[in-house]
Amino acid sequence: MNALELNKVHIKRGDIPIVHGVDIVAKPGEISVLLGANGAGKTTILEGTSGVIPIASGDIVLEGAQMCKASAGHRARSGIAHVEQGRTIFAEMSTEDNLRVGLHPESGLEQAYDLFPELKTRANVKSAMLSGGEQQMLVIARALLGKPKVVLIDEMSAGLAPVVVARLMQAVRLLADQGLAVLLVEQFANLALDIGDRAYVLRRGEVVYDGSCEILRNDPAMLHHLYLGDMEKDSA
Amino acid sequence: MNSLLTPAMAGLSAGGAYAILGVCAIFTYRLVAVVNFTGAAVGACGAFIMVALVEMGMPLFPAVVLGIAAGALAALFVGFITTIWFSGANGSVKAAVTAALLVGFIALGLRLTGGQHPKRFPDILQGAWLRLADVQITNASIAAIGLAIVLTIAAEQFLNRTRTGLELRALSERPMAAELLGIRVRLLALIVWAIAGAVTAFALMLIAPLRSPDFASLSLLIVPALAAALIGAFKSFRAALFGGLAIGIIEGLASGLVGLNQYRAAIPFIVILLVLLWSQREARWDESR
Repeated sequence: MNALELNKVHIKRGDIPIVHGVDIVAKPGEISVLLGANGAGKTTILEGTSGVIPIASGDIVLEGAQMCKASAGHRARSGIAHVEQGRTIFAEMSTEDNLRVGLHPESGLEQAYDLFPELKTRANVKSAMLSGGEQQMLVIARALLGKPKVVLIDEMSAGLAPVVVARLMQAVRLLADQGLAVLLVEQFANLALDIGDRAYVLRRGEVVYDGSCEILRNDPAMLHHLYLGDMEKDSA
Repeated sequence: MNSLLTPAMAGLSAGGAYAILGVCAIFTYRLVAVVNFTGAAVGACGAFIMVALVEMGMPLFPAVVLGIAAGALAALFVGFITTIWFSGANGSVKAAVTAALLVGFIALGLRLTGGQHPKRFPDILQGAWLRLADVQITNASIAAIGLAIVLTIAAEQFLNRTRTGLELRALSERPMAAELLGIRVRLLALIVWAIAGAVTAFALMLIAPLRSPDFASLSLLIVPALAAALIGAFKSFRAALFGGLAIGIIEGLASGLVGLNQYRAAIPFIVILLVLLWSQREARWDESR
């Protein structure tokens, strides 16, 4: 059974259509990677899925339950966790308090510290004082403590050193291996394809590739073509 | 000495009420990010409903309870507008909305309560708690100060030590991030408004017999309340508590001094001005270097 299904989803920002009838699934134990050039609609899809913005039409189904009319809070309580881009920590709170905010009654802080031991040593530090990488770890761990069924992760590598990004990618892979469904938006396609199972390439709000990450990993020319599409012909 | 002590003690009850209103203003600002200009007006709604019920023959205690509930409902109305209708607006817009609502509350309140003729308020806590020579501290003063202290401690403990307090802090800092963690953002925000309204209504019931209790005068107690909140930089409950008490005492002292008495009402504005000037001192000093 799919953890999350997006069926024929259309999303607008204001009056401007951004996403045009996409079909996307996320399965337990798998990482689905959303790729595409800037403005392709990747972040819009995540925001529409978690309820940050409404969708214009289509279905969002979480383990068989229709979600498209639900509020963002209801979707979160139902099991959709959204790690927004920009590291949305609660800067005035300590690391531990940040984690407690998202804590499900059946979860424990140890889960977060097992995933990112770095956070345990910084538990009582004001989260604004954490490094960029630690802040990213914090928001991923916080989302995990809500006991989600699906985690949507948006551009977690932005502005971070390669060694930190590698550490985060490894942790996300571990989450999926533990049975979580992950929908990952990432600007560095190669890094995402390395840990992903299934890939969707978006161009101008439409899915132009839906298949395994392995195929794209082994065929950079194809990935390049999928990203650029008509732009290649135009420039030729 | 007594000529100064008596009015200073008289100012204590007003100070207690200012402190309560100031703490409520900070509570609302910190948790739902709105500078609420209707803070005292919603309390006045509750206080005047209590008076109306007593005039209709209801015993004092149930009338007080219903008045507090009415204050909570009036605050919920304001909260509903700012939380639901203006959910996407920034803090300045929400503050402007509450300022507009204040004008509406005063206009409606004056019409329904017989204009600016002071109403006779029942003294909820009659009598003096302490009488020493000519100096007297009333039960109402002690109750107002006690409530202000309890409220300050309760607000601090609630925010720092409870799960709901933690969620409210998250809500105030990043509402969308809080909602994405499953926090019931609107429900919590409305609860904050209701609590602030209920407490304010009770505070005004205590202080009204000592003031000129018409709807406009009580609604405009928001000015010293915001001055107290400003002393606390809209952050520190304790500073607002001491600020509110200090403003009340200074007002009381001024009322006992010939020549200053007529400028008593300007004291909160002077406090606001001084705090604002003080808050900008570093920028001005840097400029002059």
